[in-house]
Amino acid sequence: MTDFDDLIDSDDLSPEEELRLRRVHELLLQAGPPADLPPALALAPAGGRHAGAEIIDFPLPRRRWAVAAVAALAAVVLAFGGGYVLGHSKGQSAFAASRVVPMHGSNGALAMLRIAKPDQVGNWPMQIEVTGLPAQAKRSAYYTLWLTKGHKPVEPCGTFRVHGSTTTARFTIPYSLKGVDGWVVTAQQAGADARVGPIVLST
Amino acid sequence: MQPVTSDGDLIQRAATGDRSAFEDLYRRYARPVFGLALRRLGDRGRAEDAVQETFTSVWRSAATYRPERGPGAPWIYAVARNAIVDRARARTELPADIPDEPSADAGPPDRAEQSWVAWRVHRALEELPEREREVIALAYWSGLSQSEVAEFLDIPLGTVKTRTRAALGRLSEILEEELEGEPVE
Repeated sequence: MTDFDDLIDSDDLSPEEELRLRRVHELLLQAGPPADLPPALALAPAGGRHAGAEIIDFPLPRRRWAVAAVAALAAVVLAFGGGYVLGHSKGQSAFAASRVVPMHGSNGALAMLRIAKPDQVGNWPMQIEVTGLPAQAKRSAYYTLWLTKGHKPVEPCGTFRVHGSTTTARFTIPYSLKGVDGWVVTAQQAGADARVGPIVLST
Repeated sequence: MQPVTSDGDLIQRAATGDRSAFEDLYRRYARPVFGLALRRLGDRGRAEDAVQETFTSVWRSAATYRPERGPGAPWIYAVARNAIVDRARARTELPADIPDEPSADAGPPDRAEQSWVAWRVHRALEELPEREREVIALAYWSGLSQSEVAEFLDIPLGTVKTRTRAALGRLSEILEEELEGEPVE
């Protein structure tokens, strides 16, 4: 047992202070050692970022997203071939994220985008958990997740529809994430595939 | 000692989409959440999932935090506990044999109290400067004497004791000022 009197020199402590420190001492003994944080959850040494679950920092003001609704239309074709969606109300299966990116929008809509490490050929698994986006009235309407470069949505990552309060969707994208400075979700209407819809969530 | 932003303030800022506030919360609470999950679930993989789930919920639900109802630590504790319970429920277990003798292990109320104490203390440890946290870890959980800690760190024994005392004082302030509330039921 670790003895308080062996740990510090308490001769010059006031009775009140000694009592306080002894209380902390007892709490430390009672609590036991903290758990070692696994690498996937560890903080990066620089800047307090997560090493395993990194929050990507995007330097420019969010207002820039408002002008970002001009888009690389050719990439849309890639989007619909490249992703798959698994929609369910709660993300039950394990998803080993190496980066976590919070997103938010108007009317309290929120999302957490989790990005896993790429496989050997450069496929990046990702999962988005969305809360607060309105369900689409039309069956053919959907949302699209984009990555942005130069604060413009340039590469579509996948499409999904929402149901209930929370929807989780998974995609795999083959793009390099170098130069990516953010993510947005746009609302897409049926028959309007040639245009990037209004941004409803952004980083 | 530099004033530290309270957990409640960070939660409220996170509710407005402040990523740096969310990161600060993660830095403060990732280890306590993981420790709590590990003790309850007994599996590192599922504990990692519970940490992810906890912080997803914190981000998603930060706007529901009400500072007038108490500090942030009990609120996050409640969020973490819910995430861990969800993980525990998802587990499929074989029915256990009924023991012949009553268990001498702590019952649920005692375990809850122990978890809450560990939560508070481990959260407070995250606030210590690295050199003080290191000394506390070595002094309390390595089995080394203070003389051996001094030798290990290659610093004078007096410095080890000074750092230990400073760390205990700092922990005392953190625990008293920020963690007065009880877990939210």
